Amino acid sequence: MSAVDPNNEADAADQVINTDGGAKDGLAKCERCGATEISLNVATGMLRCSFCRHEWSSENAVEAFDLNGDIGKLVGLTVGSGSADILPSTEEVLTFKCSACGAEVVIDTNHGTQARCHWCRNKLSMNQQVANGAVPDMILPFKLTKEAAVAKISAFVKKRQFFAHPKFKQEFNAENVMGVYLPYMVVDINAHARLSGQGEHQTRSYTVKNGDKDETRYDADLYDVEREFDIHVNDLTVESSSARLDQNASQNTNNIINAIMPFDVENSVRYDSNYLAGFTSERRDSNLDVLSPIAHTQAEDVVRHRVQDTLKFYDRGVRWQSEQVDVAGQRWVSAYLPVWLYSYQQKKSNGKSFLHYVAVNARTGETMGSVPINQGKLLLVSGIVQVVGTIVAVVLTVVGI
Amino acid sequence: MMSVVELSASVGQVLIASGSSDEGGNIGLVFLASGFIFYAVVYFMYRNVDKRHKHESETESSLHNLQERDTFVRSMTGLSNRRMNGANESAVRGALRKFF
Repeated sequence: MSAVDPNNEADAADQVINTDGGAKDGLAKCERCGATEISLNVATGMLRCSFCRHEWSSENAVEAFDLNGDIGKLVGLTVGSGSADILPSTEEVLTFKCSACGAEVVIDTNHGTQARCHWCRNKLSMNQQVANGAVPDMILPFKLTKEAAVAKISAFVKKRQFFAHPKFKQEFNAENVMGVYLPYMVVDINAHARLSGQGEHQTRSYTVKNGDKDETRYDADLYDVEREFDIHVNDLTVESSSARLDQNASQNTNNIINAIMPFDVENSVRYDSNYLAGFTSERRDSNLDVLSPIAHTQAEDVVRHRVQDTLKFYDRGVRWQSEQVDVAGQRWVSAYLPVWLYSYQQKKSNGKSFLHYVAVNARTGETMGSVPINQGKLLLVSGIVQVVGTIVAVVLTVVGI
Repeated sequence: MMSVVELSASVGQVLIASGSSDEGGNIGLVFLASGFIFYAVVYFMYRNVDKRHKHESETESSLHNLQERDTFVRSMTGLSNRRMNGANESAVRGALRKFF
């Protein structure tokens, strides 16, 4: 795939969407009573003041930043200001002055963008973007309550009890689930694709004798096939934390978190740190130079999948020999997306540990997980199945089936 | 323990590969490999190492200005495979999940 290269200065950031205009750091107060005790009411999806119960919502990010504009008109590289490259020199732990009492308050951006002043107990929020990936362009609030997530995780694990590791069964408590905002990049791509190759259409199938055996043979027509089209890819979503990008299933269970996508990112709102109250977050630490190849390869997969609707005649398959996908325009926006995460650290007999996740998409409720296995029990039962299976196979051979 | 999973997966692949040529003989093979198949089914059900976001189908997209060109080349007879050799119209290359 040829594309706009974000490393090339001539190409880099043709357009920047300013997504933190008007954002302020410091005390974010309730507009009605002035309190700073503000958090998300998951039931309504709105921010709520804990003192006066006033509720309000941030502006829809898609409308505020015109992210729903015609993808076909995208030209060059467009990025949200919260998706800008992370500068290594930027601090991850930032100090703010409390405007209520003047004390200095530290915010560790690795786990959130809020902190409480130790002196006056007010909450300080960080809403302005700095080049460390902590404040994204938009955030998708939690919609699924903790109680609902606990029920889904419990049901998921309950179906996997018999071969579950006894220590896991003993220690499992779905109440330990954590609400986490994980960092993603949401990408729109306007591309022109040209695929060429060959396809086969079956015209006949029949049986021939080969010694004592009957074998099936096929006749088919071979065609040169070419498809050329424009494609608009909407809201392709890619993890933007280096830890989550590593999805080697023999080393970790990050594929579990990947599997609960997609999210309804079109309902994201303008970033406000108050949405993080009561939850934790993971900071974005990957830039476009790392994420672009991933997104473009996935966009090629979308192209290949999308064009299959036009290939139904080729019932024996199509072999693409040339796939040219030229990206005319792309738009990148960073987002925090909500996940209920149950984690379990399994201590193995060799001294190593392995982290298992059960994850729930906090918008759609889609649930996926990894449950530690009692290997001894599974091997024993598999052995019994093998012995019985072998006896049956021998009997079938003797009978002549 | 991963080697048992790899072995089970390999057995499954052998069964699938032999499926097109001699389906009658596969019943015996299935029973011969039943222990490995059982292990693999339970392992995948509990650990879900094969699961991932299906970005290729779950991402919204639309085609525009489609041009199709299909040119007959030749007819072929007596082919032994049910599928075209090297067919890759549903290939997925951008999955982050690696198996083993």
